[in-house]
Amino acid sequence: MNDINIPATDLAAPDSEESLKGSIRVSVGLLDTLMNLAGELVLSRNQLLQGVNKSNIKATGKSCQRIDLITSELQEAIMQTRMQPIDIILNKFRRIVRDRSQRLNKSIDLVIEGNDVELDRTIIESINEPLKHLVNMAVDHGIELPGKREHLGKKAAGTITLKAFHDAGQVNIILSDDGSGFDPARADGMDCVFSGIEQIGGNIEMNSTPDKGTDIQIKLPLTLAIIPSQITSVENERFAVPQVNLDELIRIPASDIKDRIEKVGDADVVRLRGELLPLLDLSKMLGIEKIYIDPETGSKFIDRRENISDRRSRLLLTDTDKASEKAEDQPVRHQRSAKDRRYSAKSALHIAVVSAGVYKYGLIVDQFHDSEEIVVKPVGRHLKKCRAYSGATIMGDGKASLILDISNLAQMAGLSTLSETRQLVKSIEKTSSLEKVAMITFKNSENEYFAALLDTVDRIERIQSSDIEQIGGKKVIQYRGGALPLFELSEVTDVNPVPQKNQQELIVFKVRGRKIGLKVSLPVDTLEIEPNIDVTTLKGTAVTGSIIINGHTTLLVDIYQMVRMLKPEWFR
Amino acid sequence: MKNTPISSSSQDLSYSTFYVGKALCGIDILHIQEINKINEITKVPQSPDYINGIINLRGRIVTIIDLGKKLGLTPVQKNNDNRSIIVDSENEHVGLLVDAIGDVIQAGKKDLEAAPSNIRGVKGKYFKGVLKTEKQLIGILDIEEVLKE
Repeated sequence: MNDINIPATDLAAPDSEESLKGSIRVSVGLLDTLMNLAGELVLSRNQLLQGVNKSNIKATGKSCQRIDLITSELQEAIMQTRMQPIDIILNKFRRIVRDRSQRLNKSIDLVIEGNDVELDRTIIESINEPLKHLVNMAVDHGIELPGKREHLGKKAAGTITLKAFHDAGQVNIILSDDGSGFDPARADGMDCVFSGIEQIGGNIEMNSTPDKGTDIQIKLPLTLAIIPSQITSVENERFAVPQVNLDELIRIPASDIKDRIEKVGDADVVRLRGELLPLLDLSKMLGIEKIYIDPETGSKFIDRRENISDRRSRLLLTDTDKASEKAEDQPVRHQRSAKDRRYSAKSALHIAVVSAGVYKYGLIVDQFHDSEEIVVKPVGRHLKKCRAYSGATIMGDGKASLILDISNLAQMAGLSTLSETRQLVKSIEKTSSLEKVAMITFKNSENEYFAALLDTVDRIERIQSSDIEQIGGKKVIQYRGGALPLFELSEVTDVNPVPQKNQQELIVFKVRGRKIGLKVSLPVDTLEIEPNIDVTTLKGTAVTGSIIINGHTTLLVDIYQMVRMLKPEWFR
Repeated sequence: MKNTPISSSSQDLSYSTFYVGKALCGIDILHIQEINKINEITKVPQSPDYINGIINLRGRIVTIIDLGKKLGLTPVQKNNDNRSIIVDSENEHVGLLVDAIGDVIQAGKKDLEAAPSNIRGVKGKYFKGVLKTEKQLIGILDIEEVLKE
């Protein structure tokens, strides 16, 4: 390696490609180290060749170890040639701040710390613009005019501090000012800054107190060329998930899928320690067809399962779910069949919980493999439009694999952002706080199923139809020493009349301390269900919506509204 | 490979020929980095359909393009004669998957005739010209035009 012009990976900063094609200075000491290591590498290779030729396993093993060590050292030394002190860009800000503050008649001291902190030059190039924007904003909108500062009891001259330091394998840059704090004027153009920092795998945090100042902390990876990654696979194709994006890996056994995966609107979500995470199925996202092999015939077929929590047969219903099943079906339904591939160990869900900027979601893959340090390689121009990947890498077996772009995947899927997810969670919690609700179910005429909340029900009675009296066009019966007004649903909403019989079932509702009898047909039953009410399709007068109970579309009667229509005087 | 001189011009150029479906095409040999047999190709889901995938070419990631599909013909049929021609284009390597490799032929610049609007179903814009040999007509591809997205 006699030429030290190292081309930057265009993955890092495609726009600044041109400016990166210059040359860099490398110390002679570092060059000597590299030469030394190259010599060692040649020696070890010779030993390895000898060992292989003589089939000497012990010698081969030894040389392998040496090559392993040398490779790591070589990698480190070469990475060092790419490292540049951050002062290249930090010192530029002295002039920028001086010129800008003079023009605005402000007095600003710029304090720079940590000039000698080294970063990969591609990263240095890519943070230049975002950082410049932040400094400009601090000068323009952060620091107040001297008069205003004195009025607020601050020093006339404002201070902007730029500090760079290493922490936990990352480089931190802190930009703080003692100005007016963050305001909407300063928020302008922040999107650009956020995306610029995120593009190189960094993140940015902001703290602001009105009239006290703003602290902006940027965390950056040391280098982009080699990144630790989790290797995952879908249908034998491996995909790398950068470790910076990875929060945790979870495996949901097939039997728990139904409990932990839920559908909210069109989106699948998983329950993770009480939080809801949107889910993204990588195979669906990338259009990879899933092939299943029938264990008996050996024939392959394509899995057409649409929903993650979809269960083709209802074999593994939990005990509570079974309550609504017909009793005679249960013995058959309980047996697991070999064909029911969804419940074999293989159908456990593997979810990589990932986050990138405003997104946090669960990425469903087929398998998790090792965590590896991968070398990021740029992809050719024909693949630049495939936004799902941030680059490619070469695996241990020599095969090329793609690196997933976690942020773009979320965007492509139209996933909701963190804040949107939280909103979603809130709305879900509202409904799930109702949880199981006690209902009374009944029929009106044949094939007209209704339900009402049980808490308004006083009693269920059976009366002789001949006992019903008509007084002034209104039906009543004598009931517990008084007159109970009788109605039926066809009087308030668009349903059939209750069929005439010798005996008539009544549900007695108690509303506002008074009782009202509703004529219904058998069977009358009570049960506890989750109120998954469809409030749009079958809404009507005194009907809140519809709900499926025991396989019947059941209309939910709003008893209060019904009584309000029948007995408006009770509500005065 | 047998060389078939068809002209005695002093400015001879060499063309590597290959088959895309039934069409015999050629590329100026100076564009070609190497010709390979592909073993391990990694598919790139959601890429344009003419892209076969990517391979590891001694540490470089190279995109493999199905030349049949790219030229609007039938896709390259998988068999043992398949080769990928690695060409240099805009400072990167790109692999062109072809059905089979033919001979290297030499021809003078003036032997290259203007391409008709269509050669065996391939649009004329993809060609720099055609070479007529005793036996066949060879369409000489304009690599940059072919590799445009």
